Amino acid sequence: MPRSLAFAAAVSTAAAFFLAACGGSPTAGPADGAPEDTAATHTYQRINGLSGQQRTDELVKCAEEEGKLSAYTSNTDMDAMIEGFTDTYDIEVSVYRGNSESVLQRVLQEQTARYYGTDVVDTNAIELNVMQQEGLLSPYEGELRDAVREEGKADGWTATRFNAFVIGWNTDLVKPGEEPTSFEDLADPKWKGRVSMEIGDVDWFTALYQHLVRQGRSEQEALDLFKAVAANAQIAKGHTVQGELLSAGQFAVSVSAYSHTIDNAADKGAHVAWKTAQGAAAQPVVVRPNGIGLMKNAVNPCAAMLFVDYELSAGQEKIAGANRIGATAEAAKALDGLEIVTVPEPELLNNAKKWDDLYAEVTRSGSA
Amino acid sequence: MATVTPAPPSTVPRSQPPGPASSRLARVRRSLLRPKTLIVAGVAAVIGYLALVPLYYLLYGTFFDADGFTLGAFGRVYSADGIGTLIGNSLWFAFGSALLSLVVGTTLAYLNVRTDVPFKPLFFAASMIPLIIPGILYTIAWIFLASPDIGLLNAFLEPLVGPAFFDIFTIWGMIWVEGLHLSPIVFLLMVAAFRSMDPSLEESALMSGASRWTTFRKITAPLVRPAIVASILVMTVRSLESFEVPALLGLQNGIYVFTSQIYFTLRSYPPDLAGAGALALGLLAIAVVGVILSNRVGKDSKNFQTVTGKGFRPRPIDLGRFRPVAGVLIILYFVATVVAPLAVLIYTSLLRFYVAPSAEAFRTMTLDNYRALAELSQAGTALKNSLILGIGSATLVMLFMSVAAWIVVRSKIPGRGLVDHAAFVPLVIPGLVLGLGISFVYLRSPIPIYGTLFILLIAYCTRYMPYGMRYAITSMHQISAELEESAHVSGASWWQTFRRVLLPLLSPGLIAGFIYILTVSFRELSSSILLYSPGNEVLSILIFEQFENGSFTVLAALGVVMVLTLVVLVTVAYKVGAKVGLRQD
Repeated sequence: MPRSLAFAAAVSTAAAFFLAACGGSPTAGPADGAPEDTAATHTYQRINGLSGQQRTDELVKCAEEEGKLSAYTSNTDMDAMIEGFTDTYDIEVSVYRGNSESVLQRVLQEQTARYYGTDVVDTNAIELNVMQQEGLLSPYEGELRDAVREEGKADGWTATRFNAFVIGWNTDLVKPGEEPTSFEDLADPKWKGRVSMEIGDVDWFTALYQHLVRQGRSEQEALDLFKAVAANAQIAKGHTVQGELLSAGQFAVSVSAYSHTIDNAADKGAHVAWKTAQGAAAQPVVVRPNGIGLMKNAVNPCAAMLFVDYELSAGQEKIAGANRIGATAEAAKALDGLEIVTVPEPELLNNAKKWDDLYAEVTRSGSA
Repeated sequence: MATVTPAPPSTVPRSQPPGPASSRLARVRRSLLRPKTLIVAGVAAVIGYLALVPLYYLLYGTFFDADGFTLGAFGRVYSADGIGTLIGNSLWFAFGSALLSLVVGTTLAYLNVRTDVPFKPLFFAASMIPLIIPGILYTIAWIFLASPDIGLLNAFLEPLVGPAFFDIFTIWGMIWVEGLHLSPIVFLLMVAAFRSMDPSLEESALMSGASRWTTFRKITAPLVRPAIVASILVMTVRSLESFEVPALLGLQNGIYVFTSQIYFTLRSYPPDLAGAGALALGLLAIAVVGVILSNRVGKDSKNFQTVTGKGFRPRPIDLGRFRPVAGVLIILYFVATVVAPLAVLIYTSLLRFYVAPSAEAFRTMTLDNYRALAELSQAGTALKNSLILGIGSATLVMLFMSVAAWIVVRSKIPGRGLVDHAAFVPLVIPGLVLGLGISFVYLRSPIPIYGTLFILLIAYCTRYMPYGMRYAITSMHQISAELEESAHVSGASWWQTFRRVLLPLLSPGLIAGFIYILTVSFRELSSSILLYSPGNEVLSILIFEQFENGSFTVLAALGVVMVLTLVVLVTVAYKVGAKVGLRQD
């Protein structure tokens, strides 16, 4: 029958077309067999070996010859940074913006297919660590990196800013004198229904949990404390929603707000704060670095390096301008005098499931 | 007419007269090269291709790991703690929302199409607004309205009914928001169905002394059964998959659903694609059963074929003294479900940060958010790209699906049911998996579309194919085969018949599907975010950025602009739709 023939033909054409397009396993591992040395790594090594004005001159000349830069980022304040960079140098920049998960997935997909779409990646620590583990990044060295806080000098990438998780409150709902001074305070029954936790803050949870254990609590005691706070908490999804609902008074306190979310809202006049009138913040503050890495297979390696230079020098002011905490000691002044706990990135990367499950257990007990 | 519907004569090859092999071969070749064969085969191939790419990716990821074939993912996700409660919550939420949207959507569509209810054009656009507002904004607007702590409605009603009368953070609140948000899908399906209905049957019933309600129950509702079944099917699957509403309203009080589980599996690195796949396949199983059931209902096709060789003009029913009542009810409905959330959005878009309305809040109002929007670097490009993609994918999907619907409903081609199932597959594939599957293929394919707008077009067509198919099939069920037969007898070719007879008759359904796809394509994020490239930004990426950045008030302004843009587009599409196809008095 010609018609069923036609149909069979159609189906098999589709199948053949599709299989031809895929070839192998669609979930094959990352860039297997990526060469250790590439043209870009040679350039990086050469520039890393230089210093002072010579390095700058060489880098600017080479980068402007390349004339282009492609950056993938989950940094939402990127606009100001790019603007400053293109105003300073004669380089055309294209930017892909996504959440950190999309940035990572896109890089992995492209690099596995040997499609070198980006020169630098600017995103969260955990995703950068995965890229480093997969051998996609190449080290960046120099005086500017030396000036970065210790927490920010990671293998294969360099922090450009920090996210600080702080306890924030609505100043209409939390009266002066009543402000929490520590996470433990929020387990008190008087906070019943007035606290908010965020469903995805596994990194904050892991850091604080390990900190509590280091302070001498047993694992069970630490978990019980989280559950006690969760029992007082409404669970929110996303820091933006959480921040907006905190200003609106849906709850009185967020246990893991970003300091910049609170500061930006307060700048606009919202009645929120993370420090008392006397300047005291609840301690400890958990920080997580965000940073930038050079791609081993960059098409524009000089422009990539110049951009990292820029982020760590003039760019630090732009970061501070957005109420964010920069990576250099100078730009991270907001952290001075606070007890800082850093997110244990390697632990999160190697034992992701354990911490995910544990935090899910905690948030599940939250139902104020 | 009670004769068995024959396929149009040319589709059934007559017994082959014996002849030399060469002439038979020539005939086969001729018939293979006929426009009909080419078009049908082409459409089937495209659907198969679009559905297979992500499905293959999903299946491979679910059943194969480094060591070969495995069922581990199923064991892992279906034995998770409290999975029973999750599934229970999910079903409760999904059926509740499906039922609410069915009742709301059908009532609105009936009033709009079949009666002389007042304020019709306004009514049509307003019915679409819940769908146009991005889900996250619509949900948050409802938190501001009906939260027991800060809800404006609660504050307003407190003197009458006491504090915290409404609680949006319950399963009922979730059903309310989801059901209303999705009701336009049903509304559009039912509008199409009612437009193609011969009113003489209702008139006979009324004349025989049946009340209006009895007439609706016994005549109208059964006639549009395929559309009702399609609505329930699409709505249930959609609500089962929905994440925004359960995440923003359910988590607060620990109400977890099926998709919370998908969220957890995809959250950490490496994302558990196998786990997400196993969950998606559970949904797929439900969907396949639904498609089979829905086609079984459509099988007794004669019962629903309201567009027959007999001429008729759909004429609205005179509501008589109920007209003012209906008018008031509609206004009340729109105030509660459209005006209130939209007002909250407009109000928020004029503030620097959200506070409950007060004299001070009104004093500090500003247009800064709109100004910020105008200054966003890619706002213009994004709007243009979203328009191109929305109109492009809506047009392509509806054209292809009209042929596909013909294949499934009218033709006798073996395996035609597969086309239907294939077209439904993308509905259950998580957006992230779809994005990964597509980028995987086009990063390796010789076709150079990675990094262009085309790859987004492919993603959108894949994503919206299931909806297009439901709209097209539902309309096709209403059209009697006798019209095609007459065309054919009068010497029209298949293609002429399709173009000049079927397409115009299908147009209410096609336009409805077009409007739906256009509207939702503006907010597609989960696969766009992986597939777009610098220069190809779309509006949803901008929304996402503002959201990540904490600029909630700018986001509200963007939501208001989107509503205005789409209301204009929908009104134009509605006017165009009213001009083609069936004429109304």
